[in-house]
Amino acid sequence: MNMHERLIEALGADAVKTEPEDLAVYAFDAYSQALPPSAVVLPASTQQIAAAVKVASDCGEPIVPRGAGTGLCGGAVPAKGGVVISFARMNRLLHLDVKNKRARVQPGLVNLELSQQIRSTDLFYAPDPSSQKVSTIGGNCATNAGGPHCLSYGTTVNHVLGLEIVDARGEVFTTSIDDAGYDLTGVLVGSEGTLGIISAIDVRLMHLPEAVRVWLAAFGDVEAASETVSAIIGAGIIPTALEIMDDVIVAAVEAAYGAGYPTDAGAVLLIEHAGFADDMDEREYAIRQIAQDHGALSWRAAQTQAECDALWAGRKGAAGATGRIAPNYYIQDVCVPRSKLPTALHSVTQSARQHGIRVGNVFHAGDGNLHPLLMYDKRDRRQVAAVIGAGNEILQSCIELGGTISGEHGIGFEKRDNLLLVFSTDDLAAMGKVRDVFDPRRVLNPEKIFPAGVGCTEVKGGE
Amino acid sequence: MRQAHEQGDALFIEGGGTLRGMGAAPSRAGRTVCTTALRKVHSYSFADLTVSVGAGITLRALRLALAEHGQFVPLDAPRAQHATVGGTLAAGWLGPRRHFYGRARDYVIGTQIVLADGTLANAGGMVVKNVTGYDMSKLYVGSFGTLGVLTSVNFKVLPASPCTRVFIASLPEHSRLRATDAIARLSVTPSAAFWVHGFRKVVDGEDGPDGRIFVLHEGSAALIARASRDVRTALGRAGVPETQIIDTGASSSFDRVLDACTAVIGQRSVTYRMNGSPDELEARLRSVYTAAHKSELAAESLVDLMNGDLFARISGKDAHAFSERIESFDDLLHAGAPRAVVVASDSPIRTALNVWGEPPVALERMRAVKAAFDPQGTLNPGRFVGGI
Repeated sequence: MNMHERLIEALGADAVKTEPEDLAVYAFDAYSQALPPSAVVLPASTQQIAAAVKVASDCGEPIVPRGAGTGLCGGAVPAKGGVVISFARMNRLLHLDVKNKRARVQPGLVNLELSQQIRSTDLFYAPDPSSQKVSTIGGNCATNAGGPHCLSYGTTVNHVLGLEIVDARGEVFTTSIDDAGYDLTGVLVGSEGTLGIISAIDVRLMHLPEAVRVWLAAFGDVEAASETVSAIIGAGIIPTALEIMDDVIVAAVEAAYGAGYPTDAGAVLLIEHAGFADDMDEREYAIRQIAQDHGALSWRAAQTQAECDALWAGRKGAAGATGRIAPNYYIQDVCVPRSKLPTALHSVTQSARQHGIRVGNVFHAGDGNLHPLLMYDKRDRRQVAAVIGAGNEILQSCIELGGTISGEHGIGFEKRDNLLLVFSTDDLAAMGKVRDVFDPRRVLNPEKIFPAGVGCTEVKGGE
Repeated sequence: MRQAHEQGDALFIEGGGTLRGMGAAPSRAGRTVCTTALRKVHSYSFADLTVSVGAGITLRALRLALAEHGQFVPLDAPRAQHATVGGTLAAGWLGPRRHFYGRARDYVIGTQIVLADGTLANAGGMVVKNVTGYDMSKLYVGSFGTLGVLTSVNFKVLPASPCTRVFIASLPEHSRLRATDAIARLSVTPSAAFWVHGFRKVVDGEDGPDGRIFVLHEGSAALIARASRDVRTALGRAGVPETQIIDTGASSSFDRVLDACTAVIGQRSVTYRMNGSPDELEARLRSVYTAAHKSELAAESLVDLMNGDLFARISGKDAHAFSERIESFDDLLHAGAPRAVVVASDSPIRTALNVWGEPPVALERMRAVKAAFDPQGTLNPGRFVGGI
């Protein structure tokens, strides 16, 4: 039997795609395009995932797990073909434990749907990447996804209590942060599908806050807005979210959604504070004072839930809205120490200008996590080259400021070679040891994370 | 370490030695590496809310350095004046404020470690969001010194709350369940809340037959005022006669409770830690006291109401009686609470006990991780889960 036949035998025909026109779309994710896979399977259970892994592994094919494909660095595309495992049929909340504030979910459950399904219990799932209407919990775990509320609530890994994993040999094991021994949960989250396939996740839930306020401050430019953010954090105030958008992005957002942002400002700062009602007025006063001290042109408090929702929808839809003003865009994901934000932004503006590239800025200012959107037309090779040049300069300047090359999107395929800008070969060799334990033959999502030729040096002979 | 590695010598890693009562007996003899000289604050950017320290710095010294700028890391462990950052993290110590702030591992944004063969490896960095390869710091935290020696740790820090208040009350047995339940449900969540039975002199220097409840609140003045009203009402309704409030000295009160978690009674006690959900606490308590009674040993308990942790100190009237009876207690306890872990004992019988409880499901994979990092088994050999 060939591989297609074996997959169909193991999972049933309706769980396996083999026709070229069906496979073609799986060569893409939100960032990139690679090879079409040899087959796509849509398992409905952990056992089916394991069966698919065994078949693929026997046939010598790599395995590429895929959530919603919203990743921005080629993490879900088959760099070497192989079998894509899609979790589209494993999208349920399996068990909810309200008293202990936890839930068990399948990897294909959409992030926002989890919070929506449990809303009546007064609980929510905190990590909120901007893609949350579409992205899945499994995919979020693979990239340790962030989002605006990570400022106060932490990233995905801080909300994962345990995992069920199908390993490279098709064997199933579970991890829990309450297990004695090594924190395998902690190292599996953020491993971008290269150590194991996540087949179930135990997540931590939180109580919905007692009170939430959303404020919007307008500034003449992003530098003033980011200086305000640095000052707020420096004053020991950590709001629940601190997001900045510049005028380029705001214009696109308003044209697309009419969310209520002022289009005459150079930059806007969206601030949310969630917590106890007793603290709200004092918080607002303190933050507003700092904003005014740094040149805020206006200050507005959202009055209704609808207004809050609209402002957030605008922010989270920012990248999508950019599609209106440029045929293509390249989103970076650099993170710098918060006090270096104004300098980092200055470098972004400089590099973009020098390369003649239009840039928009939307970012998690409170975390120092910048997302410059470099706009171009991919049909123009000079523009493509300019974007690559500007992108590399921005990366370099952020590293020089003590920052990193990926705050939340991950390394995927796109940033592999940049890893050596922040780590030595010894540092990467330590990671390679973990890979050797879980996937010595490099069948799981190959060509991701590690620079070409690195991370293979630890492979033991004879495997 | 390179030298030891070349000679195949075993190395035992020690910080302040405050958690020496954890772990199994070494599988062979070796030399000790002490990390306490690595105690500098390498860099501290209070505007960025990040700090980088030598792993040998004590929790107390770190706390003081951060307090100068009104900041802290929620790293709560016994004997903070001796406990090192590296040791506390390597032991995977879970503090009582984690339900509120998150675990210690959630605050580690970067590490430097020396591996078994002397290689220096860095992980993470100095930024609070970082997805660049595997999060190796997560592997090192809780690895009990078996994968390498932590030499440097980078933390993200938090601004300290303006106000801290501790409430203490004597808790007669008939009020206990209602009171502890009411405290766990307060709308202004306590940072920490304990019920303590025994552990003489732990809370405020007094001895007494009753248990005591201890509640820590941190927040703005307005929030503390509201919390105070709620705590008094809740305890009053539960039949608790009076509540003592401590403002200045709240943090040393809290430290004393932490210290109690690993306080030993000569060589005639052992303290177990049993984590679990708060709703199962009552059942766990009962099984501890039943097992102690059957084994003719005394039991004291320190219950973390917010996380559901139970620390039980089991003691005998003298070292001889203790060592005769403790193994049978150990068996009884683990029959009902398979995951109970030993966290403190100065008795030589300690190493005969089931100190790590039930092994984790993924133990074989953990062994493989150990083999990848330390193929000769030179670092803390035999001390960890499953004899790793």
